[in-house]
Formats: sequence, C-alpha cells, structure tokens
Amino acid sequence: MASISVPLGGVGATTAPRPKLSEYLRWSVDHKIIGVQYIATSLFFFIIGGALAMLIRAELLTPAQDFMVDGAAYNTLFTMHGTIMIFLWIVPVLAGFGNYFVPLMLGAKDMAFPWLNAFAFWLIPPAGLLMLLGWFIGPAEAGWTSYPPLSTHFSPDGQTLWAISLHLLGVASILGGINFIVTIRNMRPEGMKYFQMPLFIWAVLAQSVIVVLATPFLAGALTLLILDRVAGTAFFTPSQGGDVLLWQNIFWFYSHPAVYIMVLPAFGMISEILSVHARKPVFGYRMIALSSMAIALVGFTVWAHHMFTSLQPELRIPFMITSMIIAVPTGIKVFSWLGTIYGGRIRWTSAMLFAMGFISMFVIGGITGVMVASVPVDIHLHDTYFVVSHFHFVLYGGTVFGVYGALYHWWPKITGRMMDENLGKIHFALTYLSFLGTFFPQHLVGMQGMPRRVAEYAPEFQAMNIIISISGFVLGVSTFLILYNMVWSLYRGKIAGSNPWRALTLEWMTTSPPPPYNFVGDPIPFEDPYGYGTEASREYLKAMDERFVAPMLNPALRKRPDAQLPAPNPSAGD
Amino acid sequence: MQRSNEFPFEFDRERQQQRQAEIALKNKRMGINLFQISWIMAFVCLSVVNLVMRGNAPSWPPPGTPPLDPVLPTIATLGLIASMVLARRAFLAIQTDKLSAFLVQWRAVLGLGALFVAVMIYEWITLTPTLDGPPNQFNTIFRLMTAFHSLHAIAIGVYLIWVLRRAAQGVYRHADFWDIEAGSKLWYFVVIAWLLFYAVLYII
Repeated sequence: MASISVPLGGVGATTAPRPKLSEYLRWSVDHKIIGVQYIATSLFFFIIGGALAMLIRAELLTPAQDFMVDGAAYNTLFTMHGTIMIFLWIVPVLAGFGNYFVPLMLGAKDMAFPWLNAFAFWLIPPAGLLMLLGWFIGPAEAGWTSYPPLSTHFSPDGQTLWAISLHLLGVASILGGINFIVTIRNMRPEGMKYFQMPLFIWAVLAQSVIVVLATPFLAGALTLLILDRVAGTAFFTPSQGGDVLLWQNIFWFYSHPAVYIMVLPAFGMISEILSVHARKPVFGYRMIALSSMAIALVGFTVWAHHMFTSLQPELRIPFMITSMIIAVPTGIKVFSWLGTIYGGRIRWTSAMLFAMGFISMFVIGGITGVMVASVPVDIHLHDTYFVVSHFHFVLYGGTVFGVYGALYHWWPKITGRMMDENLGKIHFALTYLSFLGTFFPQHLVGMQGMPRRVAEYAPEFQAMNIIISISGFVLGVSTFLILYNMVWSLYRGKIAGSNPWRALTLEWMTTSPPPPYNFVGDPIPFEDPYGYGTEASREYLKAMDERFVAPMLNPALRKRPDAQLPAPNPSAGD
Repeated sequence: MQRSNEFPFEFDRERQQQRQAEIALKNKRMGINLFQISWIMAFVCLSVVNLVMRGNAPSWPPPGTPPLDPVLPTIATLGLIASMVLARRAFLAIQTDKLSAFLVQWRAVLGLGALFVAVMIYEWITLTPTLDGPPNQFNTIFRLMTAFHSLHAIAIGVYLIWVLRRAAQGVYRHADFWDIEAGSKLWYFVVIAWLLFYAVLYII
C-alpha cells in the first residue's frame, strides 16, 4: 500500500492554462465552466446551510429554548437548513460533477445542449436568492417537506417564495436531466458500448431518468400549494373538501425518488474512486450498473413509506415490501464495492479514505433505512431523531462523503493542481469522527423518543445532545479544511499532470485542466474502463499519453484544433 | 503542409461537420421526445389530483353543482384530434417540398387549435361561479386543469404561428425542417395531454 501525494511516475508534471476567474462569473456554454459554476454555487449554499445547522445545534445545547425564544424562528432554521442542503447543495453539486465529467468521460466536446445547460445553471442563483429573500418577508417554517396545513395556513409569505424557488430549481433539474440522457445516449464515442461506460455515467443516467419522470410531479404539487396560498383554492384544506394527504402523496412521489437523485451519482463517484485507488477492476461491473437502474425504477414504488402513520393500514404492507426490496440492489452495490477493494493494492489517498468512509456510513444509513421501512418500527420511531440520524447517514455519510472523495479525486483534473494530501487526511479524520459523534447518538435519543423539529426537549436527553452539538461544531469547522485546501492548491499545490492517479477513463486522457474542446480529435476508450493491473492497460495509458496528451501541451497545437471547428460546441443541438 | 507537419491528427473538416450536424439533429429529436415524456407527468399529476379529490368527495360533482356538459368539449376534442392529423400531414408535405400544401394544413391546425382554446375558455367562464362562497373542488380542479392545458396550447400555438410565418418566407425545405418537426411534435403533445384530461374530466 502506498500513499500518493505527487504525480505518479510516467506522467509528465506539466500544466495547462486554467480559465480565468472572470470566465466563471459570466454566461458560458462550456460544460466545464458550468460544472465549476454549479460546484462553487452549491458550496456557497453548503456553507449557509451548515451555518444554520450550527445554530440549530447551539439551540439544542440545553433542553430549554435559549436564544430562540420564538419557536417559529427555530422552525425557520430547520426548514431552511433542510431545503438549502437538499435543493441548493446536494442536487446542484452532483449536477456540477455530472456536467464537468460526463462529456469528458464520454470523450465528447460538450453536452448535447450547451445553451440549455447554461440556462439550467443560471436558474439556480435566482432560485437561491428567492429562497433567502423569504427571510425578509417572513420565512418559510413548515419544514423541507412543507406539509399542509403548516405550509398553507401557518407559514408567512416566505413560504410562497420557497415554493416558487423550488419550481425554478425543478425546471433546472429537468433540463439538466434531459441533457444528460441525450448526451449519454448520443455522444458516446465509437467503440464505447453501454456496458463499457464508466459507472459514474451509469449513475448519472439512472439519476436523470428519475429527475425527468419525478420532478414534474413536484411541479404539480408546488402549483397547487401556491394556488392555495395566493389564489384562495383549498386543495389541501379538509374543511373545504381538500385533502392534506394529497400533498404528502404527491410530494413523496417526487421526494423519495429524489433521495436517489441525491445519492446515485455519489454511488458512481465511489465506484470510480475505489477501482482507481485500489488498482483493481470493478467487481460486478454489470451488477453495479444495472442496480442503479433498478434503484431508479423501484424508487418510484416506495413513496408511501414516509406516510406509514397516516396511510390506510391495508396499504402499509405493500409499501413496506417495496421499500425493503430496494435494499437488494443497494446491497449488491455495497458487496461489489467490497469485492472491488478486496485484495487490491490500495492507495490510502484522501479520496480513497472518503470512499471507504462512505461505505461504512452508508451501510449504517442503509440498515437503519431497512429498520424504518418496517411498519411497526417506523410507527415507533416516526418523527424522532432516529429518522434525522438515518437520513443524515445516507445524505451526509453517503453523498457528502462521496462528494468530498470526488473533489479529492477529480480536483487535479479540474485545476491541474493537487490538493495537499496530509491536510486531506486530517480533514477526513475530523469529518469521520465528528460525523459519527454528531449523528450516531441521534439514533439513541431517537429510540428513546426525542422528537425532531422541536426546540425544547426532555432534560434526560441533554448529556447526549451536548455530545451531538459539540461534535456538530467540529464537523462544521472541518468543512473549512477542504475549502482551504482547494484554495491553497490553486496557488501552491503540486502540478498534477494529466493523469496523476493513472486512471483509465477518458477524462484523464486530456490535459489538466482540459482545453475548451476537451480533446484533440476523438479519444479512444480502453475496452475495460476499470481494467487495472494488466499489461494492456499500461500500454494504453502510455499510448494515450503520447498520442493525445503530450501534443496538447504544445500551446500552438492546443489552440489549433479549436480554431478549425465552426462553433463553440460543434455537436450542439441548440 | 506546414500545418499537417505540426498537427499530428488528420481533420476531414467537411466529414466532421456533417457528422456533427447529424448528431445535433439526433440530439434535438431525442431531447424533445424526452421533454414530452417528462412534462406529461405534470398532466398525470393533475389527473391524479382530480381522481383523489373525486375519491374523497361524498358525491362528484358535489350537491348543487351541475355536471359538465360534454357536447361542446367533445366536438372541440374531435377538432383537436383532426388538427393532430393535419399537423402530421403538413410535416410530411414539407419533407417533399410541397410548401402550399404545408401552409394550408398548418393554417388549419392553427384554426382548429384556436377553436379548441375558444371552446375551453367558454367552458371555463360559464362554469358556475364560486367567488362568493367556499371553493367548490369540482370547479376548482376543472378550472385548473383546463387552464393549465390551454396555457400550453396557446404557448405552443404561438410557436406554430412563428413557424408558419417563416415557412411562408420559404425558410424550410425538405432538407431543413426541424422547426416544423418540433412544432408538430409539440402539438401532438398538446393533443395527447388533452386526451388524458378529457378522459378524466368527461369519461371516467
């Protein structure tokens, strides 16, 4: 086992020019610029959402209401924290990675619809702004699920902005999903069959199918909510013939698949990282690829498990069964990942550590998911901190760990510079331990009956809550380590070269960062994107380096092929 | 020669441009199909809402609310289906450079579409007013569904008018008719979405 913090042998430590900062601040149809715009914007909202989490944990240091004497202020905190983290951090950051790497991994010059791609991104800043503006007119305070009547009768005008903001974000998601599917279907290079695509692409494909089919349902629900709030309709008011469960059904028909929208790309990231850093072919490639699609499809049949306490009893069992079935494709992934690293020559890089951390945390989140899929357990644990813990293990221990791993893995490609590995490992250790300290005890207080979304709690839970809050503060601070590392690396990081991890997927067969048109000519994919450890793979890497990467480092040649092409994106459909 | 010495890859610019154009068209076709599949789910959502509300109500329509008269909307629906056939024929006509046939049929599509929207606006307005009492769920969901659909019909109709004007200027030929193809596909969407709503509102 080796620790890698410098470019590996065989790769020239040369650099390619980076786009100027100003290019990231304006409209661009370059998928790489858009990808970075997504990632940077979502990181901004991650900090805001994280700051709100810190306030929540500060309030919960004692059983009494301390600095939030008005309960509505606390409601706003967890509402905005949940909404921002889900819709303005996790979903866009994954879209950012997808935008940056899907075309590169396919050997394409850009996405299928570059203009649409830019348009989808530029819906996000105004949507985020609308969400935050709600604070000035009375913020939303009905939770990220916004169940009526809380969201219709007991939330101020910011709730309407909340709904409009989500509408915009939904449109952005749909446009992005369509773009990904078309790009993956039509712009694969010659010689790359479906089962030769990198697993990250499979994951994005599965995610996009969910986005395209489920998000319009959310649009429908939001339209009804807005009409109830501003036009005097009563779709969700039982006293006037409406139905509060109608919202729950429609909302969860989108939002449970949305959980997979938020985690599937992270599965793909982990598959990439584990194979590259274990120097081993992916174990069960086809099963991982197909299990992503299975999760996407089965994910549409489980929504009512969020409503076990309000659902007709005869419907509980079918939804319990489908919810448990989804553990099967997820389990296939976990065992395939374990098979991938088993016997590998593991490099304990920061990316690999986070990928390993992902597996451990996600398994815990998955097991507790099966627990709450069980009707009797769920009825007992409903609306307790057990549920909070479960979904944070999935979305933070899962997705955010995956994103951290992906940042360490792909940052050299995006910037041409390595992040500091030692700092990365400190970041991992702090994050891992403080995450466990924050969220594992929540299982315990949840099982003992501590309700979520309440600023006060029984005094017997205080000791545990102090541990949770202090760990939470450490977790918050640890986030700044990677942010510092990212900025530091831009100026002081070691030059990465084109392929510092000696990976076989196509994004590494160009310079770091790639030029505006990604590749000179059409890169040739290796027959097995994870065929590490073979003589053929070593020869392939050498040949690609000589034939594709080396010429692109010549400034004159780097510009030439671009000048010959007629449009910013020659394959653009719009 | 100097360039080929410096640059190690052969670029057949014409071939590459042709391939890119083919991919671009393929992308557009798939993109619009996906958009249709995606956005029809919003219509499915409203249909589900209607069915759930109906299932919750003791009687549907509620006591005192007259049932919908299907005659005029059925005639309008038949006109809409005819417009879909005409849109298809117009699309085929432009592929064989029969511009005058295209223009006639495209105008007929627009006329039938306008008639349909007019009928639905009439239905919308003449529904029992409920402004002075509590919301009547039957009327509310009817108005929402028909307005939602009509807005789509109007927006896509505006696009069809733009296509018509360009076609009249001779912009489209058998080799370049994407706007018409897109317009006709979007109009199919309007028709299919309405058939879904029609079934929910007037048949089931």
